[in-house]
Amino acid sequence: MDFKLSEREELLRKSAREFAESEITPKIDAMEATGDFALDLLKPMAKLGITGIIAPREYEGVGLGYMARTIVLEEMARVCAAVSMAMQVHHMAIAALNDFGTEAQKKKYLPPLARGETMGCVAITEPSGGSDILGMQSTAALKGDTWILNGRKCFITNSHTSDFWLVLARTGEGPKGLTAFMVDKNAPGAKTGRVEHKFGLRGSNTGELVFDNCELPRESIVGQEGGGLGVALKTVSESGRTGMAAVALGILQSCYEESAKFANERVLYGKPISFLQAISFAVAEIYTELDMCRLLCYRASWMKDQNMRFDTESAMAKSYTCDAAANCAKKAIEIHGAYGIMQEYKVQRLLRDAMVTISAGGTGQIGKVVIGRAALAPFQKKG
Amino acid sequence: MEKSQIWVFMEQRGGVLHEVGLELLGKARDLAEVSGSAVAAIILGAEVAPLTDRIINHGADLVLVAEHPALETYRLLPYTDVLTRACREHHPSVLLFGATRMGVELAPRLAARLKTGLSAHCIDLQWDANGNLLQMVPGWGGGVVATIRCPEHRPQMATVMPGVMQKCESSGRSGRVITWTVGDDLDVSGPKVLEICREEPKTRALETAEVVIAGGWGIGGPEGWKLLEELAGLLGGAVGATRPPVDEGWASEEQMIGQSGKTIRPRLYIGVGISGMSHHVVGMDGSELVVAINSDPKAPLFEVADICITGDFREILPPLLEELRRRLGAKQPH
Amino acid sequence: MEKIIVCIKPVPDPLAWDRLAMDPVTKTLIREGIPSVINPLDKQALEAALEIKDACGAEVVLLAMAPVSTRPVLRQALAMGADRAVLLSDHWFAGSDTLATSRILATAIERLAPFDLICCGNFTLDGSTAQVPSQVAELLGIPNIMHVSAMEFRPPGPLLVTQKIEPGLVILEAEFPLLLSFTKEANKPRYSSFLEILAAETREIAVWTNAYLQLGAGLIGLGGSPTQMADLLIRRKVRQGLRLEGSPEEIARLLADKISQLGIV
Repeated sequence: MDFKLSEREELLRKSAREFAESEITPKIDAMEATGDFALDLLKPMAKLGITGIIAPREYEGVGLGYMARTIVLEEMARVCAAVSMAMQVHHMAIAALNDFGTEAQKKKYLPPLARGETMGCVAITEPSGGSDILGMQSTAALKGDTWILNGRKCFITNSHTSDFWLVLARTGEGPKGLTAFMVDKNAPGAKTGRVEHKFGLRGSNTGELVFDNCELPRESIVGQEGGGLGVALKTVSESGRTGMAAVALGILQSCYEESAKFANERVLYGKPISFLQAISFAVAEIYTELDMCRLLCYRASWMKDQNMRFDTESAMAKSYTCDAAANCAKKAIEIHGAYGIMQEYKVQRLLRDAMVTISAGGTGQIGKVVIGRAALAPFQKKG
Repeated sequence: MEKSQIWVFMEQRGGVLHEVGLELLGKARDLAEVSGSAVAAIILGAEVAPLTDRIINHGADLVLVAEHPALETYRLLPYTDVLTRACREHHPSVLLFGATRMGVELAPRLAARLKTGLSAHCIDLQWDANGNLLQMVPGWGGGVVATIRCPEHRPQMATVMPGVMQKCESSGRSGRVITWTVGDDLDVSGPKVLEICREEPKTRALETAEVVIAGGWGIGGPEGWKLLEELAGLLGGAVGATRPPVDEGWASEEQMIGQSGKTIRPRLYIGVGISGMSHHVVGMDGSELVVAINSDPKAPLFEVADICITGDFREILPPLLEELRRRLGAKQPH
Repeated sequence: MEKIIVCIKPVPDPLAWDRLAMDPVTKTLIREGIPSVINPLDKQALEAALEIKDACGAEVVLLAMAPVSTRPVLRQALAMGADRAVLLSDHWFAGSDTLATSRILATAIERLAPFDLICCGNFTLDGSTAQVPSQVAELLGIPNIMHVSAMEFRPPGPLLVTQKIEPGLVILEAEFPLLLSFTKEANKPRYSSFLEILAAETREIAVWTNAYLQLGAGLIGLGGSPTQMADLLIRRKVRQGLRLEGSPEEIARLLADKISQLGIV
């Protein structure tokens, strides 16, 4: 067992941290105010390698693994969780295309994503719900050589900042009746709908996609016809859950830093409040949660890099870390007292952002369904 | 036997002397009184003879003037060449430079050519029992100052922080002026000067301000920095900084106080959110009244402060601004 | 342009400075447990070298005198885009003052010759003497310019250097070979891109000892240093140390009184 990060991983962290602190920080206020993603970050993020971190080299990516991605997402989220969120979804689209796309699709879509010319977008959730994936109502039907797509996707990250979307729709009955498509935003009948105004992760763009007799060429299918459920589950479970967990991990790191700094600076009764045990215990609890979550997140990412099955571990990392981030952000606000709810202080943003990570990317409850199934299986009576 | 000589390099630009040279003459005078040495100033330029009276009045027994058209504008290699020849001919025991940008570039090059020792950014100079110069250099951590000496090599060279030594001027002193003949074999190699742009200082110079409000890492960002500027504006003072605010971009390089920045001795110094590392303290502890405001009661700055306030500056400065405004307002004529 | 040498110094991380202490007996800095980082201005020096490399091609070689344990700092500098690194590490080098250090660096640079340009940071955070650049140049017999706040080089045009020196800015035209030391204003150092981090893993960090440089004991280390540390002094001025307490308003009134007593208000 070796819990030490490699020199490469340390350098990636250092570089991502320097970049985030210097380049992302100045954009936060505007993103918080408008709710728009700072698109001018894309080019510098691409130059650093953030956009293409997990895309293979032959498609102009960096070709790094999930451990590297987790560290980089964590460092970005430590400064601004919204940007990290937008990137983690961007990576999901890259992962889905790389795992299921044809050579032609990879050649067409992966380089512009890696180069940061546009953002990746995965559209599964509908007004009827996201976790109830089989309840999906969007449909696609083949007419001659053209698929006709109808329906509405909602709460979609990067919906309005992406040039093409990976969209799931029903092409038949039952679990084998879902299919994934690549939809160009200029396809006839495709359009973006409303932009959502979220109370957290404000800088990550979230909105609706609307398909009204949208015409797609036959080769738009990603993976097999009827294989959409597999595309969705693998993408959400692997890159989605580890990515969301990394975003929450960065929030947790920031909860810890803000709390420790404030506790040492804020003076009450003539001494910094860190001398009060009530405060030092709260900081200790945040610190412990941070360490637990880091171990969970890194293990899940490491398992992916070792080509091991890790759906239970990614679900644990996601559901536990996102909950912990919200709980610790609440503690961090309490440590800050009245300052904690003031807009000038970062901790209030940490709580708002952490709350959004719980429901995003597969709810914590769905994660627990996965974990519960795995936990109970060894003791189930064979029927 | 000829008296040993303490030399001071007189920095000049366009016929204007840099104050630090005059300050160093004051210190050289003190040292010479103890050791019975002579104080000599050396000045390089095209037409600098008119400056010699002022130099003598500030304590020089002897002024060496090296005039040559190629020396009008400071250039590293010709200046190094002239100083090398002068040192090899006269064998000064001590050679002092101001730790200005020019001195910091020139002195090390000369020391390497003369194969002698050089201490940097000194804050005090004394003799030891054997007649060696003790050079006090502010060092790392814990408020310590290293004492450097150079026992086996001459001259004993040092650069000294501007603003640290006291000038001593008296009119009607007498001294000798020796004009040094610079030959045509002067080394004029090296980069050529194409253009000189004089930059006038935009804000009140930190070194001459009576009141300095200094901020450190604890200020946290540009918002907090505005409070410092407001307070400095109210008291007619300047704003200074430790290194972190300069690195973070809240303050400019010119505002840095301390070992690698400026030395100040204002009447009032208020340090806000400054821990008080010795790097900073060496630049400010000549201040008359030192006020420290810090949320950490153990901040080392409190140990060198006259007035210590433990608390959050965001809570303390606004009522102070209000109180000062009230008092200033009350004094204004009707 | 053939070769640019960039001098790098690993220094204690300024974020951990409050953990630094001086050993009262040996008069040396206790650096244990303090991480090393690239001296900040050395990044400006490296960026300047890389900009020339990008524009007209050159081999960029890093040179550092430091313990072998600081290799990760050199790896980080390699990941900004330098081609290889030389680490000068030998217990014989310990205790060198600036002149002895400059001798070691200059000798190593001679071993790396021919070169066109040497880039340094204007000063280091730990020593802050700012003496090494001028002394290395002197020992190599090449010109040098300190306080470089801007540089322009568009072959076949000349190298133009802006020097920030009293009382303003001086623009100089310089020829190679040359040593430049850069200030913070000179440029904005690049981030290490992830691709460069991967590429840097196979770049060489050679360790050179004095067995290779062959400098006599009288030229390096304590014995080769004209300056000596004679003593450490604790500097304490007697200050009042008066603590003001109370509500912010009460403190404000008391402090305003003190300021008034100085005759400032």
